[in-house]
Amino acid sequence: MVLKSLKYTLKTALTTTEVTRLYPEVMMELPANERGIHELDATTCIGCGSCARVCPNSCIELVPYRYGNPLKNRKMQFPQIDYGRCTFCGLCVDECPVSCLKMGKRTEIAGWDRKDIVYGPDRIAVKKFSDREVAELEAEAKRQAEEKKKAAAAAAKEKAAKAKGKENKAKAKPGEGGEA
Amino acid sequence: MSAIQSAFPGAVLESRVESDRRLWITVDPKRLVEITQFLRDKKDFDHYSGAAGIDRINENLFEVVEILTSHGAHQVVVLMKVKVPRDKPSVRSLTGLYWNANWYEREIWEMFGINFEGHPELYPLLLPDELVGYWPWRKDFKGYPDTTTGERAIEQVGPDGYTEFKIMPHPELIKAGVVPERPKYPTFREREEAEIKSDSEMIMHMGPQHAIVPGPFLLDLLIEGERVKKAFLDVGYIHKGIEKIMENRTYLQGIVYTDRMCYLASITNNEAYCGAVERLLGITPPERAQYIRVILAELSRIQSHLLGTGEFLTLLGAATYSPFQYMIIDREDIVYLMESITGARITHTFVRFGGVRNDLPDGFADKARPILKRMRERTEEYMDLLHSDPIYTRRMRGIGVLSPGDARRLGVSGPPLRASDTPYDMRREDPILVYPDLDFKVVTRKAGDAEARVEVRLEEILESIHIIEQCLDRIPDGPIQEKLPKKIKPEPGEAYYRVEDPRGEMGFYVVSDGSEKPYRVKVRGPVYAYMQALPPLLEGAYVADVVAIAGSMDACTSEVDR
Ligand code: SF4
Ligand code: SF4
Repeated sequence: MVLKSLKYTLKTALTTTEVTRLYPEVMMELPANERGIHELDATTCIGCGSCARVCPNSCIELVPYRYGNPLKNRKMQFPQIDYGRCTFCGLCVDECPVSCLKMGKRTEIAGWDRKDIVYGPDRIAVKKFSDREVAELEAEAKRQAEEKKKAAAAAAKEKAAKAKGKENKAKAKPGEGGEA
Repeated sequence: MSAIQSAFPGAVLESRVESDRRLWITVDPKRLVEITQFLRDKKDFDHYSGAAGIDRINENLFEVVEILTSHGAHQVVVLMKVKVPRDKPSVRSLTGLYWNANWYEREIWEMFGINFEGHPELYPLLLPDELVGYWPWRKDFKGYPDTTTGERAIEQVGPDGYTEFKIMPHPELIKAGVVPERPKYPTFREREEAEIKSDSEMIMHMGPQHAIVPGPFLLDLLIEGERVKKAFLDVGYIHKGIEKIMENRTYLQGIVYTDRMCYLASITNNEAYCGAVERLLGITPPERAQYIRVILAELSRIQSHLLGTGEFLTLLGAATYSPFQYMIIDREDIVYLMESITGARITHTFVRFGGVRNDLPDGFADKARPILKRMRERTEEYMDLLHSDPIYTRRMRGIGVLSPGDARRLGVSGPPLRASDTPYDMRREDPILVYPDLDFKVVTRKAGDAEARVEVRLEEILESIHIIEQCLDRIPDGPIQEKLPKKIKPEPGEAYYRVEDPRGEMGFYVVSDGSEKPYRVKVRGPVYAYMQALPPLLEGAYVADVVAIAGSMDACTSEVDR
């Protein structure tokens, strides 16, 4: 009867189930595939915008950011996420073609203002290049661009020459496609 | 099919047999009632599952689809369609045949403006009064206030100096015919006050914020002394328009919205939606994915039943031994298990078309088995505990009895229906995924009272544990995702898919027009049916028992309002 009910109460009270955690000192242990705040690998993101397109709440916007890879991401555009709207559905993560966007175990988001919880690439990037590496990569990108220009110019010349000689134009094409 | 054709020559305009469990027919609107009566009386279609409206604006037609099924006599679902012209849409009401057609038809009326001849109370159900007459689910609805003109609110300074903002259309606009005139009907308040017959009766308001269920709805009781004479329900306080939103999202993005209809059943909602789209795409998920889906669906059932029961017990004042806290502690383990698979605690967005989002984590089975074992012991304890508590039994036994006949007539499903001695479970009736291979029993009770409903839930937890354990033993290795086309663009067509939600029969009706976005999504939720059945159930009860009766239905307003 009532005593029996109380017996259960006592039993529960005396077992060592962890009931209350001293948050925020003690965080809950989160599983490996927790869907928390995004983690961006800026070294591999190609700035394709797939993540922005698939987001049901349009919270991703591509913004310029310095520490990425200019070889792969020509315009240096990286996702910025508005956590005021994000529902942590994970569709953006699934959609990323190079798997550079992940979701991590960080879950605490707070700010005084609405714009404080819009996290730009600098706040979600977990992997990025240093200034020096970026400079090197930029130089490399420049060199490649120039090379490509040269190649294109050469190809055009060749093409023109071939056109003159009434050659088959299709042969000029492989030169154009290199270094893309 | 042939039976209908021979009984009503010329009345069936089109028909399609999708499988041995789905039959699509288009019938002559004039003979709709006759055919339905024939199906109900001669062919055992005694369960009216719902209705959906579709606006075929290109063909200048409205379609109304009536979904008829049977309580266990056979497994056929008939989707019966009538087409009516767009300029004067009117369909004969089925409320004379099925009591629970009432709300479904009211909803179609307020959303599409399709009139139902012979409907007893065509009043708005979910929409606020200002929106009625705009018919927001029609395809040519521009948004309210009209987004094309950018007109928002009308500012009016009253004689007392207060400024009021009204979002009502200008009277001039109504006169000029730009804005349709609102249909005339008595308001909710007028309707309930019209029922007060003598001085000894009064109306007691419960809600919109209240303890019976989480989520706002207004329950007004007309009481005479201690007894409820009549109950009135007003829902729609948190109408979110999810069905319309999904029409404006791609198929994939739609999954996110299904989560948010009811957070306790997000996996089963995902499942129902994805299942319907899979039918449209013509794919089946690989076996491993099916097992993962079943495991998650059952875990979700356990946590939903635990929270539902626990919360309900606090309402009853079972505070001495605080079962709510125990159940929350236990639920935490289950939620943690789910989180370790999906990465989210309640809004999972996990099921995908033709598969699931990710695989089970390593060592999941080893982690799950002890938790499930403990869960089984605990549930048995609860059953014992509740059974032996005299106060609980006095408050629950024989309260809010729903006889099997009534339960079927009122259209409820899930645990309340099974507590009324009707073994009707979608996992048996309309088996999906790997359920046919699994061994489980459909829990039923004879009594049909509030106690039986809670008992059914608790025992279902045990069944779910049994199912998960079988799945863990049998789950094969293999891929978890079927190959999908790059762009999800199903062929034009329609599909209806239903699953057993923790609360009952959850169906998704998805229409595709060949584009990237669904043309129409209709949700047939179980709680909608419970809510509709609440007023007749409360009639004649004591005021003190209202909480016990309404709470034992384990409702969730968010899904009613969608
Ligand atoms: S998790 Fe979902 S809501 Fe958040 S940014 Fe990604 S796609 Fe958008
Ligand atoms: S994060 Fe991925 S999907 Fe988004 S822009 Fe970068 S590469 Fe594209």
